[in-house]
Amino acid sequence: MEDKGLFGKILAIVPGLAVMIGTLYVLRVYVEPWMKDAVVFGSKGWLVQVLSLNYILLSILTGMFYRNILFGGKIPAWAEEGFRTTRLFIKTGVIMLGSLYTFDKLLKVGGVAITLIVAFVFGTAIFVLWLGKRLGADRSVTATMAAACGVCGVSAAVATAPGVRAKPVDLALSIATILGFGIMTMFVSPFVGKMLSLSDYQFGAWVGTGILNSGQVLATCLAFNPNFAPGTAVAYGEIWNVVRVICIPFVVFFITAWYWKGEADAEHVSLGSILASKFPIFVLGFIGMTALSSLHIIGAEGSETLHLMRDVMAWVFGIGLVGLGAYIDVREIKAAGGKPLRIGLIAGVTKYVLAMIIILAFIPKEGAF
Amino acid sequence: MSDKKKSLTVFKSDRHEDLAAIFASALIVVVVLTYMAFIVPSVGIKAPQDGKLVEIFVAEGADVKKGDKLYALEVVKKKWVNNVMEEKVAVESFTAKANGKVLKISGKPGEAVKKGKQTIVVLEHEKGTLP
Repeated sequence: MEDKGLFGKILAIVPGLAVMIGTLYVLRVYVEPWMKDAVVFGSKGWLVQVLSLNYILLSILTGMFYRNILFGGKIPAWAEEGFRTTRLFIKTGVIMLGSLYTFDKLLKVGGVAITLIVAFVFGTAIFVLWLGKRLGADRSVTATMAAACGVCGVSAAVATAPGVRAKPVDLALSIATILGFGIMTMFVSPFVGKMLSLSDYQFGAWVGTGILNSGQVLATCLAFNPNFAPGTAVAYGEIWNVVRVICIPFVVFFITAWYWKGEADAEHVSLGSILASKFPIFVLGFIGMTALSSLHIIGAEGSETLHLMRDVMAWVFGIGLVGLGAYIDVREIKAAGGKPLRIGLIAGVTKYVLAMIIILAFIPKEGAF
Repeated sequence: MSDKKKSLTVFKSDRHEDLAAIFASALIVVVVLTYMAFIVPSVGIKAPQDGKLVEIFVAEGADVKKGDKLYALEVVKKKWVNNVMEEKVAVESFTAKANGKVLKISGKPGEAVKKGKQTIVVLEHEKGTLP
């Protein structure tokens, strides 16, 4: 491939990025305000109040529209580099979410979050390893699905695949299955949450535990309550999300060790080397941002400075979510099938429903902050 | 299709992308703080939630210190108590977040305000502070 140089690479990003930013601008400035005032079925704001259609869900839907209809299933070459900045925006937004907390607030819910996440992450991984054996699935496929369903969807599946010698097709099927499941839960969860009158705390905890992908957790929380502020669904959901993301290297180690234990030519797998290569260091940025917030360096709660910071955060997330939508290829999801689909659906639904039962039974409606 | 083509990032690796995200967020923080502390001369303070403006504690031209009360809003406070949503009307005071001077009073006691819509007080803050 031709080396474009730094300037050429930056230039290649511009067209796709301009589409993402322009889309979000139109959605936030024109479409969302119109929807708030639009009268549907004789009710003003029906689209927003009943369908939970805010700029967050619209961003994802528009991204999906671009990919699957406008672009005919593939992001065109001229926009491809720009859309590849999607995860950069989502990770930057996650780091900035650290400004919603102080360390004492994190400690208040941290214990509950760690207990639930660790139980669900490792519980799901162990369940999938058992289920894969029971269904007679290939060990590589089972291991990849265990990572995908257990911890954090795409990242964990991609991180685990080389260590368990998964074939590209197995990895693609695993990712398609969990993304398909995630998309369904992303649109269904806000309705279920409202139907069951979940509080922001309960909803964040449920979605953070039950949904498999970081971007989808954030999008679902913001669909339930679009505000970025302490005590909102996204503030609680993100704590669960960060704890889960931190689990990635440990789950990768656990599953890789399981895989090699069953192989004749067992290789040495070291937790240290997996931590060094797989630890998602952007989480350190999140902790750093919480430190700044705890030291009141980024403005007092309720200040115009924090208000502006959160507005910028909303734009950063929105741009990332247009990109997230554009990475949802309906044809790839349709291609999901066979044992990965069965394992993914059984594990995904079990986790999603069990998380809801535990949240309703043990998590109070009143939030910790 | 090459590995680069399949990659979900424009960076060499996920690790590089993580570092770029840390750098980008740090840059955003620095730009926002610098803008608010040194470039914006004054800020229009708006209601943080819907309510009724009850009282304004400051006058035009007055100097205010961080923590001084600026205005009071009558708001409906919603809180989950024993798994039941409790709603009660309360009067809440809002304070200055930085030292400065009141340039203008735009709100009038008794008027209804919408979250983030009407400006209540325009405040000129000291350079280097975060309003």
